[in-house]
Amino acid sequence: MNYLARRLVTFPLILLGVSLLVFFSIRMIPGDAITAMLGTEAGLLTPVQRQALAEYFGIDQPAVVQYGRWLWGVLQGDLGLSVTYGRPVLAIILERFPLTLELALLSMVIALSVGVPAGVLAATRGERPADVVVRILAMLGQSTPGFVVGLVIIYVLSVYFGFIPAMGSFASLWSDPLANLGQLIFPAVTLGFAFAASVTRISRASMLDVLSDDYIRTARAKGVPARSVVWHHALPNALIPVVTLSGVEFGYLLGGAVIVEQIFALPGLGRLTLDAIGQRDYALVQGCVLFIALNFLIVNLLVDLAYAALDPRIRLGAR
Amino acid sequence: MRILRAIAAHPTGRIGAGIILLYLLLALCGTIGFTPHNPLQQFRIDRLQGPSATYLMGTDLFGRDTASRLMVGIGQSFLIAFASVGLASLVGTIIGLLAGWWGGWLDGAFMRSMDVLLAFPAILLALLIIAIVGPGTFTSVVAIAAVYTPIFARVVRGPTLSLKRREFVDAARTFGSSERYILTRHLLLNLVAPLTVQVTLALAWALLTEAGLSFLGLGTQPPAPSLGLMMSEARNLMQQAPWLLVFPGLTIMLGILGFNLFGDALRDILDPRTQRRTA
Amino acid sequence: MYTKLSRTAFAGLAAALLATAGLALPAQAANLRMAWSQDATGLDPHAQTAFSSLRLLELIYEPLVRNDTNLDVVPAIAESWEFSEDGLTLTFKLDPDAKFSDGATVTSEDVKASFERLLDEATGAAARSNFLSIASIDAPDPATVVFNLSQPDAPLLVAMASINAAVVPAKAIADGSVATTALGSGPFVLDSWEPNSREELSVNANWAGGDIAYDGITISVLPDETAILASLRAGQTDFALINDPLVATLVPNEPNLQLNAVPGLAYNVLQLNPSRSPMDNLQVRQAISCAVDRQDILDTALVGEGKVTGPLTMPAYASDPSTLFCYEQDIEKAKALMAEAGVDGFSAKVIAATGEPPVASAEAQVLQSQLAEIGINLEIELMELNVYVDRWLAGDFDMAVALNGGRTDPYPMYNRYFTKDGNLLKVSNFTDDEIDSLLQQGRVETDIAKRKEIFQQFEARLTELAPWIWLSTSNIYTAQLKTISGFESSATGTLFGLTKVTLGQ
Repeated sequence: MNYLARRLVTFPLILLGVSLLVFFSIRMIPGDAITAMLGTEAGLLTPVQRQALAEYFGIDQPAVVQYGRWLWGVLQGDLGLSVTYGRPVLAIILERFPLTLELALLSMVIALSVGVPAGVLAATRGERPADVVVRILAMLGQSTPGFVVGLVIIYVLSVYFGFIPAMGSFASLWSDPLANLGQLIFPAVTLGFAFAASVTRISRASMLDVLSDDYIRTARAKGVPARSVVWHHALPNALIPVVTLSGVEFGYLLGGAVIVEQIFALPGLGRLTLDAIGQRDYALVQGCVLFIALNFLIVNLLVDLAYAALDPRIRLGAR
Repeated sequence: MRILRAIAAHPTGRIGAGIILLYLLLALCGTIGFTPHNPLQQFRIDRLQGPSATYLMGTDLFGRDTASRLMVGIGQSFLIAFASVGLASLVGTIIGLLAGWWGGWLDGAFMRSMDVLLAFPAILLALLIIAIVGPGTFTSVVAIAAVYTPIFARVVRGPTLSLKRREFVDAARTFGSSERYILTRHLLLNLVAPLTVQVTLALAWALLTEAGLSFLGLGTQPPAPSLGLMMSEARNLMQQAPWLLVFPGLTIMLGILGFNLFGDALRDILDPRTQRRTA
Repeated sequence: MYTKLSRTAFAGLAAALLATAGLALPAQAANLRMAWSQDATGLDPHAQTAFSSLRLLELIYEPLVRNDTNLDVVPAIAESWEFSEDGLTLTFKLDPDAKFSDGATVTSEDVKASFERLLDEATGAAARSNFLSIASIDAPDPATVVFNLSQPDAPLLVAMASINAAVVPAKAIADGSVATTALGSGPFVLDSWEPNSREELSVNANWAGGDIAYDGITISVLPDETAILASLRAGQTDFALINDPLVATLVPNEPNLQLNAVPGLAYNVLQLNPSRSPMDNLQVRQAISCAVDRQDILDTALVGEGKVTGPLTMPAYASDPSTLFCYEQDIEKAKALMAEAGVDGFSAKVIAATGEPPVASAEAQVLQSQLAEIGINLEIELMELNVYVDRWLAGDFDMAVALNGGRTDPYPMYNRYFTKDGNLLKVSNFTDDEIDSLLQQGRVETDIAKRKEIFQQFEARLTELAPWIWLSTSNIYTAQLKTISGFESSATGTLFGLTKVTLGQ
């Protein structure tokens, strides 16, 4: 409890740091919402016109004043208005978040359902061909950039199968679950590829570790069948590091997968933030980054708590 | 020496080390200009030629030799990866040491700022830095280093904290050694193992990140070749000239694979926990 | 044969599998499914200048007049128009059938309010500078509008053919809803817009321009053009805008797709900065012009898609490029000019925007290689579009690779850069008495033949002084399924031709 309280106290501090960093760094990038909207035509504006637009976009005051106002709003739960969408930032984020969450969950499901069995298989077949094959595949999976996997998937699907996931018109989980799955499955595979590789490697290592522990040897000596030793006695303990890894990875995925969302044209948080940076939609960038950071902190806290709950040897706070 | 011998004996470590050595050799040849063709020369009448005896891996949109560009590109990608990991590990180690050693408010301040960097979405952090400074080799190095510094700070702070409490440091204190001596000698010696492992793995990530940034057009600037940039240039030529995607793609994969294998082997050898298991 | 068979078999199998898995979406009733890689940036027709915004707004709003596919001015909201003898008044008769999508008739008061809004500095309308000759506007009756001009302005009518001079309802101006509601008199109504994701348009039943053979348009934003091609190939998109010539050249390989290419008015150019040494030296600039092989750049960077061009890209005024100064590469002459200038090679930085246009980086790289032959060492600085725009507007570059927009008339196309009171003088950093006076003469001259002569002199003089090195036009591409028919492309890039499309089944 004490540990939880201490962790929670640091959250506002960290978020304040994140907000300062994003607020002032985004304003240091050349160009603003006016040049983003008008491009080179912005040069045709008279100073009066420019001032009018700056007021409209809320960028006419010194940055410090803007920050103060924005922070005051955030404390009251108001993340401001997006200049691109003309709507509250929070509403836009909450609209995009379900997709990001779904994609992250789906990737994790794929990674776990492939990675854990593969890891266990490899661990129990020590140095035999199955082990070597799994390890090589896992290594390759970890070594392949996401954009390579995504491009290959799109290319193969469209050229050889005349099919691609319907892009652009995104169906939500509630309106059309099947269409939604059809659109998310390939991006999820793309993200799940490297994720599954990490899961495989860590399950294998952790399984090997557990299998060499005394209590497993005892079970074996007592004549418990090999299958049962592996699946019932060893696996639950071997999964602890897998939970940690998956949690951390999931935390990253909640931040949006910029490149994969770009390639598959998914309206997720990553692309939202990237576009917002391109359009110098300051309030939206700030809101997104703050939201992503908060998610990351919460997920990591949960991972730590889960770790402590699963492994009685660990006592949080003793660090 | 002991470590090198152990790696040579380690089955996958050997492969990893082999790949890295091969890449270093190729990069060296590329740097001193020992390439089949000038990597920047545009043989514009021979553009988009498939692999042949003249152009081993074909030519790109400008008629530049892919094989030569890959050799130089490996050098460029390695340079950025090594420099950024070097910078991240240096800054991260210093922060981690100071935080772990002095503790108190300094520890709090340092580690909270590291938390800020960690909580900041990685690719966006790199993207912002590059957008502010403008893309280029140096910017890529700083941007990638910023992403990985907190990881090194954490890796170093933990052992520093526990080593600080351990007896030999106390012993050294009573013998009258200066604090600086304790810091450098004992601590760093004990940090070598986790740091080495972390550095090799971070090199693999740095290569991936550099490729990703270059793919988004934010890394190395043309006409200088880098692996990610070559792939992003090849992307819309995927159908006419698949070799432009295939060779850099394989080169990136193999390079990262090399570092991953090497890093794993190092961990097996240096990490006492796994040592106990294999013993 | 074998691979073909197995491919078809695979495709059949895959289709069957996917169909059972429910992955294939039901075809949408009678909507045209369209895709583009860059979304509109806003809905205010007077303020927006981005290519995609204009393309979207042209489907929703109408100006008084518009350009047809031959770039001639034809009626839109206005039925007819007339310049007075002295060229100081321009009178429009409005089409009595023209209605906004809410059913209200478009009146002269709407036109007056729209142009007054456009001229108001607080609107931030970049196109305002094209309408400064308008002194006052009268609306004697609901169907008549009179523009009183401070001086004769021949290109004014052409400027009015832009969607930036769209007529918006006076009441929308009064309640400040122009930027948010998109209530126009055009062929379509915007039902929903999710920026960077999708737009839904339905046919405007009140449109005066005739019937449309389908129910609406769904526009998807697919940021990656290879993905757009894949989507077309899979039959999930009917119609798409393509920017990258590399992607466009792949379209004809697909049996079910058709590519529409039309030379655009925009021009690819290497802008030199004559305020910086040694580009301040005429001979150095001319040497650069002679050292550049424009056809080679076109063939390499644009994979041959486009045409070598001088400053004037509109067919009515363009000169034959071979008559312009040093349009044949001449390295010897270039070297001689460099020697004459006493410059023995130099280093310079050239700026270019990432992906905007997609060929910018490739052009810069070919230029770099060509200029190296006369001892010029170019360093390429690629940057994000916004950063580029910032530096471009400040004139903060040695050289810049750019794709600058074209107009159907030379005066509005170049007055901003090369007249002494041009708004973008900071970008060109170049003035010349003769160029200035030729532009002014062209502006007030109403006789077509005389205007042509004036602008031909202008073009020859400009290429000889070489403040910029004009390279080529790009094509404007749309790609479509062969099942749809009737689309007419235009050099302005407008998608107005979609009103004549029929969707086959």
